[in-house]
Amino acid sequence: MTIAVRERNESAWLLTPRGGVDHRLRDDMRRFDDDDEVDLVVVGAGAGGSALTQRLARKGWRVVALDAGPFWDPEQDWVSDEAGSHQLYWTEPRQIGGSDPVPLGSNNSGRGVGGSMVHYAGYTPRFHPSDFSTFSTDGVGADWPIAYEDLKPYYEQMEAELPVAGQTWPWGDPHGYPYTPHPVGGNGELFLRGAERAGIEARVGPVAITNGRFGNRPHCIYRGFCLQGCKVNAKASPLITHLPDALAHGAEIRADSMVTRVEVDERTGRATGVHYVRDGRQRFQRARAVAIAGYSIETPRLLLNSASDRFPNGLCNDFDLVGRYLMVQGAPQTGGRFDAEVRMYKAPPPEVSTEEFYETDPSKPYKRGFSIQTVSPLPITWAEHIMAQGHWGADFRNYMSDYVHWACLGALCEFLPQPGNRVTLADEKDRNGMPVAHFSYSQCENDRQLVKAATAVMERILKAAGADEVVTIDRYAHLVGGARMANRPEDGVVDGECRSFAVPNLFITDGSVLPTQGSANPALTIMAVATRAADRLIAGPDAPRREDAAASVPARA
Amino acid sequence: MNGGERVPPGDVAPRFPGFDVLDQADHWDDATRSVVLSRVHALPPIRFFTPEEEAAATCLLDRLMGQDDDLDPHRIQLVRMVDGRLAERETDGWHYDSMPQDDQAWRDSLAGLDADARDRYGRSFAECGLEQQRELLSAIHGSDQERWHGMPPKQVWSLWTRYAATAFYSHPEAWNEIGFSGPAYPRGYKNRGVDKREPYEVPDARPSDDPVRGRRG
Repeated sequence: MTIAVRERNESAWLLTPRGGVDHRLRDDMRRFDDDDEVDLVVVGAGAGGSALTQRLARKGWRVVALDAGPFWDPEQDWVSDEAGSHQLYWTEPRQIGGSDPVPLGSNNSGRGVGGSMVHYAGYTPRFHPSDFSTFSTDGVGADWPIAYEDLKPYYEQMEAELPVAGQTWPWGDPHGYPYTPHPVGGNGELFLRGAERAGIEARVGPVAITNGRFGNRPHCIYRGFCLQGCKVNAKASPLITHLPDALAHGAEIRADSMVTRVEVDERTGRATGVHYVRDGRQRFQRARAVAIAGYSIETPRLLLNSASDRFPNGLCNDFDLVGRYLMVQGAPQTGGRFDAEVRMYKAPPPEVSTEEFYETDPSKPYKRGFSIQTVSPLPITWAEHIMAQGHWGADFRNYMSDYVHWACLGALCEFLPQPGNRVTLADEKDRNGMPVAHFSYSQCENDRQLVKAATAVMERILKAAGADEVVTIDRYAHLVGGARMANRPEDGVVDGECRSFAVPNLFITDGSVLPTQGSANPALTIMAVATRAADRLIAGPDAPRREDAAASVPARA
Repeated sequence: MNGGERVPPGDVAPRFPGFDVLDQADHWDDATRSVVLSRVHALPPIRFFTPEEEAAATCLLDRLMGQDDDLDPHRIQLVRMVDGRLAERETDGWHYDSMPQDDQAWRDSLAGLDADARDRYGRSFAECGLEQQRELLSAIHGSDQERWHGMPPKQVWSLWTRYAATAFYSHPEAWNEIGFSGPAYPRGYKNRGVDKREPYEVPDARPSDDPVRGRRG
């Protein structure tokens, strides 16, 4: 299987023999001029943008991926430190509102090459087959224009390329993983113990963290700090799983370049490139096609800011759908207190999951469901939990001094897509003069019931494991939606192949195209959707002529 | 520094006697060591707050984190850490639409604290006694009013506590107090699991001292 992976994506073998970033690959990177009409310009080098870039570069497409943030070197730039990792998050101004405002930044928004996968925990579950037709089956959410079977081969490819470690998975479409599960730490041990006693099935995994050597990537060293960027390069992010191969095949990654507007020719109705700011200068990259992959806040913001005579309400926004149906998962976290020392900071936070409660249970008053996973917050995040309980001063410090005794589980509740949960442009502007995003969020009754049900199950597991006290705080996780895919333009911004309905050579290849979110962490699905879109592009009318394509592959690849 | 002297407020003895996370600093990678040690030795001078704001912010942050002894040699310089973030616009990446951006919200809320203190006690917040300061803060924390000096009090409290907790628990002295071993790259953690410790980790001296149970009992 390793051979098959290497034939389609050599990234893990393009790191240095010790598993670090190979700077020669970056120094020798092909560089296009703004005036070169590249085959594709990609906006955002995160999960979706990077996977797309790698696939197309391999087929000889001339691709430039622009990213607003830096081109990281994990060894130099990242630290084993919570507060010191603030640069990994999108910290340009953004406004939040609605009746349940959702914090952004470290919670769900990455910045720089690799995107949010730099600081995600590393959980990479698949969506379940039921996720693709919740409207038909459960009367809530939306139906996708594609089915699970359409994504399945791409799930398998990504699980091999990241690669994913975990036990055989009994839920959804049952499947195995290419790597065996990791040993668990104190938090995972207590989850497994509590789940067994409570009669709930739990499994170790699935995590995109190498268990064993993979190419030049080393084994995980269990240092915690997965959410601060993996210095070991054991945890997968496109920075190491897809971009080395993209560079070797002639793609350019242009970091520190903030795209502010997509240009569309009013006469032809086709996208002609993107305006961006680099080193304080306004620039324009010409391109035969444009793929936006800025994730659920920045993708809608860019479309809305690209209004024109033809699109007075924002690009691709003929039906007032851009920015709408944005989703977060309800993610309550429940801590359990044990006289024993748990020291949950040791070992990766992602260890054990259950998806037993994922689908609609007809005996319950709510639709759809939730998953439960280990989360293991570090002290600053844990302190925010305790303060959210109302503690401060000496009482708070005393509470915090008990940190090593706590285990912590988190739920992912499938909040439903609603049109009013959306991104709009605020009056406030960023330093480039571009209006900042306003993100409004309000829960519906089904959402609230899911959080309550998930909290009860987490408390049950921790008490069964022997916790003498449990506390829960409400929070949110992940972002998807905001430019969803659909069968027709009245229902969505792009079709099932990520092509926008309004502009034939404009694509959206990130989490914003997801019509529903399930109770799964979205990274794997975003990559699967993007690589499927890549295959369609390669086979479609936008592909560069074959002789051009062959000529553009640099000899060194 | 001796981390073992670190005693939580209201306690009589440290929970992790003799534990000092900085003893392991030689095993950390350069980038991490540099970031952590800069908080201990090289905090920049105040750049953002005016002297009046600095005085109010110092008292506010110390009350929130229970640092009530000005002469405590282990007192963490919270105000300089928060000032540095505001000077460099290192925000959390969002602000409530009912609040100004973080830097302005800090100025406005500190002015609000001083106004409350003058109203009630005839002096600035920093000139009030510890109990008076706590009472003023309790009133905001427990407020069910829509607005406090033009801002929702819950969101003001969220702003203050987020900045305070991030500053306090980014400091190795605070890690000593809670037995957190901090960075472990490139070495990694070898002994994972319930009641397992690395050779340099110190067991909790009072494992059944449960703050939740204690408060209820």
